Amino acid sequence: MTTDWKEEVSKCSKCGKCQTVCPVFLETGDESSVSRGKISLAEALRDKQIVYTERLREHVYSCKKCMRCRKVCPSDVDYEVIISALLRGVADEMGIPLMPKIIFRYMLPRRILFDLMLKVGSKIQRFIPGKRRGQMRHLPLLFMGKRWIPTLAKKTALKKFSTTRKLKNPKMRVGLFTGCLINYIYVDIAEAVVDVLNRMNIEVVIPQGQLCCGTPSSTMGDHKSSKKLAEVNREVFESHNLDAIVSACATCTKSIKMDYLRTLGPSWQQMSDKIYDISEFIEKYCGNDYKAKPIDEKVTYHDPCHLMWVRGITEEPRDVLKKSSDFVDMDMAGSCCGGGGIFTIIHYDLTLKMLERKVNSIERSGADTVATNCPGCIMQIADGFAGKDSKVKTTHSIQILQKAMVNGGVDNSDTS
Amino acid sequence: MKFFQKTKKEVNKHQKALSELIRVVGEERILSAIEDRICYSYDATRQKVLPDIVVRPADTNDVSNTLKIASKYKVPIYARGAGSGLTGGAVPLMGGIVFDLKNMNRIIEISPDDFTATVEPGVVTKELQDEVAKFDLFYPPDPSSAAFSTIGGNVAECAGGITGLKYGVTRDYILSLEIVLPDGSVINTGGKALRSTTGYDLTRLFTGSEGTLGVFTKITVKLIPKPEKILTVAAYFSERDDAVDAADLIIDNNILPRTLEFLDQMTINAVRGYTGADIGEDVKALLLIDIDGTEGSISHEVPIIENACRESNAFRTKVAETAEERDAIWATRRSISPALYNIAPHKINEDICVPRSKIKEMLQRVDRIKTDQPIYIANFGHIGDGNIHVNTMYSDDPGQEELAESIVNKVMKEVVKLGGSISGEHGIGNKKSQFMELEIPSHEYEIMKKFKSYFDPKGIMNPGKMFIR
Repeated sequence: MTTDWKEEVSKCSKCGKCQTVCPVFLETGDESSVSRGKISLAEALRDKQIVYTERLREHVYSCKKCMRCRKVCPSDVDYEVIISALLRGVADEMGIPLMPKIIFRYMLPRRILFDLMLKVGSKIQRFIPGKRRGQMRHLPLLFMGKRWIPTLAKKTALKKFSTTRKLKNPKMRVGLFTGCLINYIYVDIAEAVVDVLNRMNIEVVIPQGQLCCGTPSSTMGDHKSSKKLAEVNREVFESHNLDAIVSACATCTKSIKMDYLRTLGPSWQQMSDKIYDISEFIEKYCGNDYKAKPIDEKVTYHDPCHLMWVRGITEEPRDVLKKSSDFVDMDMAGSCCGGGGIFTIIHYDLTLKMLERKVNSIERSGADTVATNCPGCIMQIADGFAGKDSKVKTTHSIQILQKAMVNGGVDNSDTS
Repeated sequence: MKFFQKTKKEVNKHQKALSELIRVVGEERILSAIEDRICYSYDATRQKVLPDIVVRPADTNDVSNTLKIASKYKVPIYARGAGSGLTGGAVPLMGGIVFDLKNMNRIIEISPDDFTATVEPGVVTKELQDEVAKFDLFYPPDPSSAAFSTIGGNVAECAGGITGLKYGVTRDYILSLEIVLPDGSVINTGGKALRSTTGYDLTRLFTGSEGTLGVFTKITVKLIPKPEKILTVAAYFSERDDAVDAADLIIDNNILPRTLEFLDQMTINAVRGYTGADIGEDVKALLLIDIDGTEGSISHEVPIIENACRESNAFRTKVAETAEERDAIWATRRSISPALYNIAPHKINEDICVPRSKIKEMLQRVDRIKTDQPIYIANFGHIGDGNIHVNTMYSDDPGQEELAESIVNKVMKEVVKLGGSISGEHGIGNKKSQFMELEIPSHEYEIMKKFKSYFDPKGIMNPGKMFIR
């Protein structure tokens, strides 16, 4: 890590501005929820005034790592360095809970093993009753809770697209970083990415051998596993000669574009510059020359934290949706849906409060469908609507564009 | 983080107080783990002292019970809102109980017919502003922390803000307070009537009392109609004095702008270096002016303001009408704080206020105090009120902190000599208590202390603040 967290904490002027954006603080009003509180805890750790305890772990885990605070901080504190150090400290001093450890250390880095585990999961889930609108009341092996989680795909995205659909004279050749949720659950998002880009005469390679981006393990403070994953992904993607790398997952994009610069060092910069969120890529390279016939559906957009607050991308997904649907903005489009990793497990009650806010603002917008650019958010929001028996559909913005392109009969791919 | 050293007897009393609090107020409202208490040890002054107990009351009853127990065992108690104060008001200097009022955050009533709103102290000021705006009403006091500071904290410190020239400060909007005194009794001052001459004005006594007399549990504020429109004018000057003259001339023309903000050269340089803002090197002073009112009144006032600026040698004026254009201009003001930290890692931010006719003289005296010493001073602020933020920026190098402090010391003396106040809007806390007696003559100081000991005979309310002897 280039920046030392021990110095970084001293930059905090304790002004309190992070309170205005922290989605967790919004719900709890607890100073321990907000970054200023956590920075104070980090200071106390640095000065050896406290040690790692169960209570401290609770406070460290009560962060969504959405990085809103970093964006608004008047003193420019790199909070990500601090929270990462705290998470690593918790992991080093107190250990990582056993189940995640097994998954992160042994399964995620080995695709076959992980595939096998989830395959067993997808077999078992067929025997579990109570599927509602494609969501089943069951957590696929990883976690527990009373949540509506989508069913696992029978065939992963990586398998499905193991051979590249060759275009004769492609405008560009891009690689797709699928990410776990899209690979195992939302294969149709990968399918939409390939289809849409092909129709724009862009060849899409899904490099086999790519692994998890590493966010789940670094979130638990397991930086060793994250590093391992990053190294494999580097090898896999560098071995293909790609013009760009796209991802349809806001968190994966943040991870491989930004976090890898820390894990892998400045040598990653060249690759990092070529990594795009899918809407960002489309608007940058094809923004002016793709046509679509807007579908007859009122669609609104939810800003994923890692796209809006970390990368500042808000316009491109909306531009895509405006061209492909009857777009309507919602109020509080940038409020957190509450989804995401360990937080949803440890602080499930808070997750639900955030989700309720989100679901309400989507309903207020009057949209038939909510689109977003993160499968994590899709899972969370769909869970919120499944619990409510609402008619609002949750989808990825690329899937709306796909429909609109099919709708308009647009196909510029050159396969002759 | 500091630990206040307690005697054995005190530790004993704290423990008894804690167990009684758990019994009476309830365990779910008490934080006693060190990992929680650390998070309530500081405010925006960066001072950190560990409290022994954090109590998070839900209502007036909880506040009253807590104060009774604190009184009984003589445990110091410190009311806290967002912890965003700039003078140490919420820092538990002598250990004891931090009273986190953040969860008492209901807006009890907005009464458009009476032009009043009644709220609990933990309501964030901006939330109050936004909610009353739905009724086309306006709560003007607007400290730059309004997006996170609480109304309770604003009343305790008598917060100011950028709309002070036209609309006044927090004090001017407080109609009525429900206050719990240290013995647990509840009093109500003032009322919803917009005027009252009955008896002494206790509401004003408590506004700005910095938690040294009692704890607010309900606050009724006065509202006014929301102005139809706001427009921004920026004026650029090559001489500092010209900008001060322009501010005078605008007011001499019978116009009270909603906001009249001044930035000096050091501030502008910092902002330019930090944001790359498009402000030419030749700009030595900047006025940012907001005017509000009706379409008609604004179109009448804009040319007068522009003329006043040009007559005072502004070489350029810019008018911003749309929200985006206004935002671009105000972004400069908002970026001052981070920009200054880019020059040096530490700052002493004073909020001196001098009579309006003395602003030029005051700025010159600041220059003379600084001379060519290796330190940065950036002046900016609410020039319409004579309320200037003198920011002394210093580094970690040896001697810098002492130098900064000696400069501030001298500045304070000059402020008082010019008939000004050492604190226009931040309050005294412990950070400025050493300067209190510069401004307050000894007889008056004693009178204030008598008030304090009348309301708080045991001295448990925010000890170490405001008075040093």
